[in-house]
Amino acid sequence: MDIDSTRFGTFQVDDDLVLTFPDGLIGLSGKRWVLVAQQEGVPFYWLHSADQPDIALPVTNPWLFFSDYEVRVSDDDAGILGLDSPEDAEIYCVVRADSDLEECTVNLASPVIIHQATRVGRQIINDAGGYSVRHHLFSEVELNEAKALVADIPMPVEATAV
Amino acid sequence: MLVITRKTGERVCLGDDVTITVLDVSGTSVRLGIEAPSDVRVYRYEIWVQVQEENRAAAQSSVDDLPSASS
Repeated sequence: MDIDSTRFGTFQVDDDLVLTFPDGLIGLSGKRWVLVAQQEGVPFYWLHSADQPDIALPVTNPWLFFSDYEVRVSDDDAGILGLDSPEDAEIYCVVRADSDLEECTVNLASPVIIHQATRVGRQIINDAGGYSVRHHLFSEVELNEAKALVADIPMPVEATAV
Repeated sequence: MLVITRKTGERVCLGDDVTITVLDVSGTSVRLGIEAPSDVRVYRYEIWVQVQEENRAAAQSSVDDLPSASS
């Protein structure tokens, strides 16, 4: 399908790779989203609305930045996602980007979980407590270290280059 | 806004599917039991509002603000 984007122009995403968020994101409605990669070798993707051209959130793999990060998915959320085991889940955290690296933050309290096979997604409230919605992204790992790590992980299957 | 008074053990229902029971009152704290279908999301208000705010702010992120391969 064609995705209209105020940031990237119009780009195409294979219909099979469109993500379904039955409840939207928290505070952002819209059931259809796509995960896009702007550049290779950068530890960020965009979770882009398939229906609203101006809505896109930067996301990242939280373990690139916080190696001991924990996510606990409640039984209710796991049921809605159809998750039987952790291996079925792709997990991302929403980044609040800022031109000043020191001010970039990441929401560790409510990760986005995507079922790898069904491509159903949901933003959950992390049952592993104590995490902030606005944690400094580069508090443990420098940008260059994260870039070095990202080179070793495969691109998520849903990520379409734009 | 509706304001009603309930005693311990009494309930409020929201629509056909959601029931809230006042379980216990202790000082300024009230313990609530909430019965709702699994597709109704129930969270503490403060965290919900924070996440909404973060998502909406993140959705305004500019491509230029995200560190690039060259930065």
